[in-house]
Amino acid sequence: MNNDEEPDLNEILGKALKLGADYADARFQSYDYELITIENKQLKSYASRRLGGIGIRAITKGAVGYASTSNLSSTSLEKTLNTALKIAKSIKTKEPIFKPPRPNKANTKLQIKIDPANVSPEEKVAVALDANKAAWISEEIKNAITLLGIAKDRRAFMSTEDARVDFETSLVGLAHVSVARVGDVMENVMYWQNSCSGFEFINSIDTNTFTPDISNLAIHVAQSKTCPPGTYPVVLEPEAVGVILHEAFGHASEADFIVTNSSVLTEKLGTEVASEAVTLIDEGVIEGGYYYPYDDEGTKKERTVVVEKGILKNYLHDIHSAQQLNAEPTGNGRAQDFENTPIVRQTNFYMQPGDFTVEELIEDIDFGIYVGEKGLKGGEVDPGNGTFTFGVGPSRAIRNGELAETFRGVVISGSILDTLKTVDAVGKDLRVSTMVFGGCGKSGQSVFVGDGGPHVRIRKMIVGGR
Amino acid sequence: MVLTELAVKKMMRLGATQAEAYLRKTRVTRVNFAEKIENFKTAETTGITLRAALGKKVAMYSTSILDESEVGEAATKVVKIAKATPEDPNWKHINQKFGSAPAEGYFDMAIKNLETQQIVEQLNSATARMKNFDKRVKPALSALAASASNTVIENSYDEHCEREETAILVFLTAKAEENAITCNAREFQAVKFWKQIDFERLAETAAEKAIRFLRAKPLPSRKTSVVIKNQAFANMLGLMLGDPVNAESVQSGRSPLIGKLGTKIASGKVTVVDDGLMRFGWNTRPFDDEGHAAQKTMVVEEGVLRNYLYDAYTSLKDNVKSTGNCYRRDYWSRPQPSPSNFILQAGEAAHEELIRDVQDGIYVEETIGDWLSDPVSGNLNATIAQGYLIENGELTQPIKGMVLSANFHELIRNQIELMGNDLDNNMQYYSPSVRIKEFTVAGQS
Repeated sequence: MNNDEEPDLNEILGKALKLGADYADARFQSYDYELITIENKQLKSYASRRLGGIGIRAITKGAVGYASTSNLSSTSLEKTLNTALKIAKSIKTKEPIFKPPRPNKANTKLQIKIDPANVSPEEKVAVALDANKAAWISEEIKNAITLLGIAKDRRAFMSTEDARVDFETSLVGLAHVSVARVGDVMENVMYWQNSCSGFEFINSIDTNTFTPDISNLAIHVAQSKTCPPGTYPVVLEPEAVGVILHEAFGHASEADFIVTNSSVLTEKLGTEVASEAVTLIDEGVIEGGYYYPYDDEGTKKERTVVVEKGILKNYLHDIHSAQQLNAEPTGNGRAQDFENTPIVRQTNFYMQPGDFTVEELIEDIDFGIYVGEKGLKGGEVDPGNGTFTFGVGPSRAIRNGELAETFRGVVISGSILDTLKTVDAVGKDLRVSTMVFGGCGKSGQSVFVGDGGPHVRIRKMIVGGR
Repeated sequence: MVLTELAVKKMMRLGATQAEAYLRKTRVTRVNFAEKIENFKTAETTGITLRAALGKKVAMYSTSILDESEVGEAATKVVKIAKATPEDPNWKHINQKFGSAPAEGYFDMAIKNLETQQIVEQLNSATARMKNFDKRVKPALSALAASASNTVIENSYDEHCEREETAILVFLTAKAEENAITCNAREFQAVKFWKQIDFERLAETAAEKAIRFLRAKPLPSRKTSVVIKNQAFANMLGLMLGDPVNAESVQSGRSPLIGKLGTKIASGKVTVVDDGLMRFGWNTRPFDDEGHAAQKTMVVEEGVLRNYLYDAYTSLKDNVKSTGNCYRRDYWSRPQPSPSNFILQAGEAAHEELIRDVQDGIYVEETIGDWLSDPVSGNLNATIAQGYLIENGELTQPIKGMVLSANFHELIRNQIELMGNDLDNNMQYYSPSVRIKEFTVAGQS
């Protein structure tokens, strides 16, 4: 059997109803991923992977069972359905059955120019190899790794309510890390360029400047000091804003955390959670972000206003959480792949731009930190207690309104309910970005996300250093 | 013909000079629950990874679809990609001789045969226990993940091996609420056998901790002595030392421990072993993911660096024997060296002793964001999710949201004061609780 072809899902959904399901849906997925790793001017690995299969969700008397298989024969599908039904029947609950309020029908595909599947392995290796070779700009560079990543995802969703949603997306990216040693200090800087595009995006990256810039920065940082620890005003570049919003606010607004007593935003709808300068949006299709027009429950992912001028307006929902909290689904029911159940996830989470130029954000700070986006390490949050943290790359001191020396090894920490209340100025630029080299992890599932914003000034953040 | 054999034969027929097939089937049961079960899934994750070498040209291709035509197509693709890739001058060969060591405690029939009903009952009783513990406490988002997997490795040297293993991870989170102040606290266990999970203890400890931390807050920045609890320090140890002793990091120039074999890298109190055969260890198994026998390797002996950890490729490059440390995180992950059970040997101090003679310090129970630390520079950063102020040998004010910073290499050389006798693990990393002489802790100014 050719696994690019999906089997007849109508038949299995029909069986689900006959066997006692009140509602069932099935998701077919065909996913291809390629990762080329170049280390120290040599090909380290060329790994390709294909993932394909079906996940079936069955609901009986309000209880949900889920099972999946990559064997698409009809006996295997039937066995998978039976497993899902058996789980649902073992879980006793008094909850009502949940169903999508509006079964959608759609078929959408990201438009690309050059399909990465049609680019030869030689050509892909050559691009990454050239980028890696260009990174060796001086003796101080001790190690350099370049990654070329390509993901193509095709998903289909069908339900016993007659929904049918198909979509296909492609995500490509180039990432590079240079390790520099100056004296006894070793530092590394990683940066990347990613886009929901075809291979034309990779071709558009100037590899003669992309990796040398990263190497230069790594050498510069290895000569820099660490930051004195304390609480300071910070100005963040857009990608750093994206990470902080995603961690510090986005997760806590995911409604499954609300219904499971796990978010500090519980019972905060309609209240002030940020300063008036802050408006936060989660949107499925936006320039620079991850292309996600429909979620894994067939709900259209439109523009969700989470915070409007500082007031918490909406949580992010899948169908289940929306029903529990008497709200509308927002198209945030996402699954890593066909093996996993959809749970509430962000798509592209970002802050709306304001009126300030970058110079204006910095000019009245006596001492603070300008947080750079190159070398960002990502973050983590404990949404139940509101503590978040993230690691940033090389950052600059702000002294008397001007950018001064570089600091290395900066880690920032804060509290969800306090931090955004101290945002006192928002830049007028906006940039959203995504990444093919790893996604956001939650409950053992990783999904591609996008995030971003303008340059933003936050008055009080805890900055760790030595 | 079995799929691994079919794949190896086809790669060789298409011109490969060496070929390897790695097949893994994992049954994963994952439950998210709080006051009730939120979702329950069971997935059969299957996949095969083919590695083909044509001389010194090497490629890998994986697929989740285990039927003959797909695997045959995968063999064609991997040979085609290998032909198109540049030569790796350091490539020698895949493992020519498989081995196996007598490992114990890595497979539990009870996990393999876990029934939905059994899990549901156990979780319901754990959450009931939590609610009954104190009326201020409710269960918050918790998870159970159990897996049973079967791995087959076969290669063109006519070598073949197979193993079954299990694992279970349980997180229980409690939320306490009092006078509109809330606090969530979690407890976890990562073990190999169903019977090892103590659901009642996890439920009650999490509940008790959530109540205790209701009053937690950040304090002003300080430099102070810090006691770090076993599971939290185990995680830091793994992050900061696990990668630098990995032969791949050493050979490629990104380890700070290059050229340091036989030299003192830590205080005499520090002994670290990598024990792939530790009974019931998180990564215990008879052989690694390339078929090399697992073993016990001395990594740091009383402060002196003794060995790096090797897989086939890196050991052939250094002309040494593999230490049996090849891991593939997922079936499709690139094989690479990684610690098995990475153990900082415990000391003799009872847990109370670590705290008793601290006049003014901080006790760290749980951290987040440790992984943001950098093993290359040694910059260690972690945000305290839960901790206490230590005053005159006693735990007093609960704290959260402060950032710990230190250089880890300097820390293990000069700052370790006392090691506890309470070894525990965070996945494959094992550590006792330790007392550190001085740490920078950033807080509110």
